[in-house]
Amino acid sequence: MIDESALSNLAEGLHPLEKQVLRLFSEKESIDPQALVEGSGLKPAQISSALQWLLAKEVISVSDETENQIVRLTDIGQKYAEAKNPPLRMAEEILARGEVPIRELQQRRDMEQEEKSRAIGALKTKGVVEVVPGGAFKISDEGKLLEFRALQKVIDGLSLNGNVSPLTDFSDQDQLIIDANHRKRSPSKGIFRVDAEVTRTYEKTNLFDPLFQKIASEKVIETLNELTPELLKEGSWRGKQFRKYNIQLPPSRLTGGALHPYKAFLDQVKQKFVSMGFSEMRGPLVENEFWDMDALFMPQFHPAREIHDVYFVKDYPHDETIDKTVIDRVADAHENGGESGSRGWRYPFDAERTRRLILRSQGTSVSARTLGEGAESPGKYFSIARCFRYDQVDATHAPDFFQVEGIVLGAEIHFRTLLGLLTLFAKEVALAEEIKFLPAYFPFTEPSVEMHVRHPKLGWMELGGAGLFRPEVTGPLGVDVPVIAWGLGLDRMAMIALGISDIRDLFSSDLGLIREKQHISSKINR
Amino acid sequence: MPTIEVSISDFESLLKEKVDQEKLETLLEKVKGEVKDFFRESDSVKIELNDTNRPDLWSPEGVVRQILPATKPWSQAYPFFSDAKKANHQVDISKEVSSVRPYLAACISRGMTVTEPILEQLIQTQEKLADSFGRNRQMVSIGLYRLQKIKFPVKYQLVDPETTEFVPLGFETPMSLKKIMTEHPKGIEYANTLSGAERFPILMDAMGEILSFPPIINSRRLGEVEVGDSELFVEVTGTDLRMVTLALNIFAANLSDRGASIEPVALNYSEASDFGSVFQTPYNLSEPVDVALSELNQVLGESVDLEEAVSVLEKYGLIVKTEGEKITVNAAPYRDDLMHAIDLVEDFAISRGYNSFTPDMPATFTVGALSQIEQFSDAMRGAMVGFGFEEVVSNILGSSEDFIEKMALDSDKSHRPETAIIEIENPMTERFSLLRSWLLPSLLRVEGSSSKAFYPHYIFEVGEVARLAPDTGAKTETKVHLAALIAHPGANFSELHSILETVFGRLSTPYELEPIPHPSFIEGRSGKIMVENQEIGLIGEINPEVLDAWQIGMPTVAFEIDLEKL
Repeated sequence: MIDESALSNLAEGLHPLEKQVLRLFSEKESIDPQALVEGSGLKPAQISSALQWLLAKEVISVSDETENQIVRLTDIGQKYAEAKNPPLRMAEEILARGEVPIRELQQRRDMEQEEKSRAIGALKTKGVVEVVPGGAFKISDEGKLLEFRALQKVIDGLSLNGNVSPLTDFSDQDQLIIDANHRKRSPSKGIFRVDAEVTRTYEKTNLFDPLFQKIASEKVIETLNELTPELLKEGSWRGKQFRKYNIQLPPSRLTGGALHPYKAFLDQVKQKFVSMGFSEMRGPLVENEFWDMDALFMPQFHPAREIHDVYFVKDYPHDETIDKTVIDRVADAHENGGESGSRGWRYPFDAERTRRLILRSQGTSVSARTLGEGAESPGKYFSIARCFRYDQVDATHAPDFFQVEGIVLGAEIHFRTLLGLLTLFAKEVALAEEIKFLPAYFPFTEPSVEMHVRHPKLGWMELGGAGLFRPEVTGPLGVDVPVIAWGLGLDRMAMIALGISDIRDLFSSDLGLIREKQHISSKINR
Repeated sequence: MPTIEVSISDFESLLKEKVDQEKLETLLEKVKGEVKDFFRESDSVKIELNDTNRPDLWSPEGVVRQILPATKPWSQAYPFFSDAKKANHQVDISKEVSSVRPYLAACISRGMTVTEPILEQLIQTQEKLADSFGRNRQMVSIGLYRLQKIKFPVKYQLVDPETTEFVPLGFETPMSLKKIMTEHPKGIEYANTLSGAERFPILMDAMGEILSFPPIINSRRLGEVEVGDSELFVEVTGTDLRMVTLALNIFAANLSDRGASIEPVALNYSEASDFGSVFQTPYNLSEPVDVALSELNQVLGESVDLEEAVSVLEKYGLIVKTEGEKITVNAAPYRDDLMHAIDLVEDFAISRGYNSFTPDMPATFTVGALSQIEQFSDAMRGAMVGFGFEEVVSNILGSSEDFIEKMALDSDKSHRPETAIIEIENPMTERFSLLRSWLLPSLLRVEGSSSKAFYPHYIFEVGEVARLAPDTGAKTETKVHLAALIAHPGANFSELHSILETVFGRLSTPYELEPIPHPSFIEGRSGKIMVENQEIGLIGEINPEVLDAWQIGMPTVAFEIDLEKL
């Protein structure tokens, strides 16, 4: 048995509708919602809500549940109730006029095109009409019209009944007609709709009577449904009670503003680099071969520069803004080393080709531009640059992707500070304590390093590549201090952070998927 | 990056030591190599070699040669690189080949009997050098022959493709060179190596028998090396003398590593080449490279002494001489990658081991900062989130269907800037052949794919777009835009207008809307966003045609702003 205070709480939390329903049924044993509507002054939806709430509070329980097929007239059906179904409507006109030209039937305005052709087709195939010379219809057998009249009778009957009736109210014959013309079956949009509806009857639980007595006996203190500006102004809320809410009911859903989870990850990376003293650098999406490759001492005959490795801009436009003297110095470096002390690649440099536009293939082009525009020394720079690579798009290759790259320059830069910086990245960006350095090859750095780290979740993984820019890179760009170039591969970390296994999902266009990934964590997560 | 497949037991016999996967991984650090698949059961391992400048490493012989610490100078280990031994065989190179495939290098190998694994390895090395280093045989190709059947001197010359015929490998009957180019699988595969040539190169012996038709195919009788052969003639032809010579040097060193004794071949060019008109190969093309001890120490941040520098470099297979603190290095003639002192510094670091260096932090202080546009972008992203918008991020590449047809821009008559779309000359697929010129197509793509996601939809993107700018020197421009989109049953212009108004209120920037017809929007419900009489963006209800094209079933309204104009 429920204790007194719980009962009071329950009573105080009742909605006015719930109280009304309690009163209406206090005398009865079984509760039929249908019977309740009449004479109560309440709408069916209000009754239904109150019953749901009382059910949740276990004041009533379901005693019986039956499923009924309910037939309704659709919008089209209601239209036909007013103007008759199209074949019948046409046939009656033909009957009245004797003959009607087919053209005229086809052009009538009171039906949709589809309804007209369907109706004409039906009248012909059922043998109701025949064509007379001159392209007109006349009725050949009025008896065949019976089918359409029967249909109309069902429509009219249903319409009279407020457009709704239980399926069981119809004769077997009428049920067949409904079946042939309801939304699922009928090839046209459907005249009838048949839905399964559950009707329930309820009975009182042993909470009902004590609760009812409680509310019947309670002093009539007016309960307030909501607080309004007027109540506040007049102060008339004093001495009254507020109806208690059931605050445990599930609320309605809401969307909220949020940053994209992948961008939020990149924001953290950005923040990391700024906190380590790095300045952001930027470059254009459409690069030229000069900054993307030539300035980086990649020879023009390098295999990675062929038509199947780089995207070219249509019709090969040339960038006219590159400083000719810088091109000349880079050309010398390629051809014979120039002033860099190198022997060069020993081939004739094509100074026109170098201006050709391509889609940025590597973030290092942004570093080259920064050096060419006069980077500060000592200086640290980073960029998160969108790059394009000629690859088949699949679970590990997106059509375009972000590369995290940068440079560090200064008189004190050497191979060991390069390793020191990479160790810092491993700790700060990948939370890795263990790190391994391996010799690597990049055309623009020497010595070159590959960094492998033990990530707390991923185990040993390649985190990035780095090296000291070759003198053939820095010299022609007018840089006279050593420069570290580094790049990190963070997409695998991002995918783990976001719980996805297909790289294309980083750029998903499915809002549902994006919403699933919008987590807020109280912990530092990277 | 070349990947070679190697027999583990063959590798171990060259190394004279057993290896497991872990040990191999450590050993391969010295050659910038990675173990891809290690299968002891099938006696096979795949090794990826990352240094595209070291074709000498693209074979098990080359890898082992570099992994093992050198015990004697290469000039002693590979004596055939010096001219001491006089060549007993000669190839005459006719003048006319210079117009098609000018260079040839050759040598003789004796005393190494070809076995099944050796033959496989020779063929692989031949292919790696010709395909990866020699650009699909364009610049370098290699031929191996049975020495005893050839009568020297051999002649390298051009012939008429229609009347010259021989029996090529893989066929039984004689074929003309022309027929080989159209019917032999190798002729078809490498047809472009001879495009434009009217007469084709061949190697012919003193009896007039054809050895091969380089770079296409060998003769069946002279050019089919078999298991059991122990006397080989090796030749390399190509378009670059250094590359051709280097490939031959590598091949000679590999054969020597397997116990062959290498004999030189004299080349008789009718015109002087960079190496002279008569010289013999293998040829020492190695050039000395200098590095000062101080430079080595400065780049590495070390204080290595001269003795250590010399011994570490010698261990890596280099011949080292010193003069004061100047270190002069001669690399073996199978290497041609030393361009600068810095390359010796790396050789030193690899030889000593990268993990022998103690990481150090740069001590100088620098101030970090985001760029102006990134800070502004981030502030705007924060503001949009505050208005209840969810951020999306999209790919920049798309199709003309996405960027033109679905946006109804093909019906644009007013040359809107959004139509200045950059196309890719060589797209891999039509799906990714254009760069987005504005963000709206990206947002509509999201909306079109998200009808199942709970409504309302308030989404935005801040990102880069690119457009053709033919009047500028750079010919294109990259801009950062902000676009926002609302879709729900009651979405309309005035709802988004209120948000735009609040955004500009916060920016303290007065703006005006100027009505324009735009094919992507409903006419009469779209406008240009004007600041100081300059268009900085667009706002409007999306044209139902456009919504249909993107399969969007909700009223949709959007604005887009060029953040760099604010």
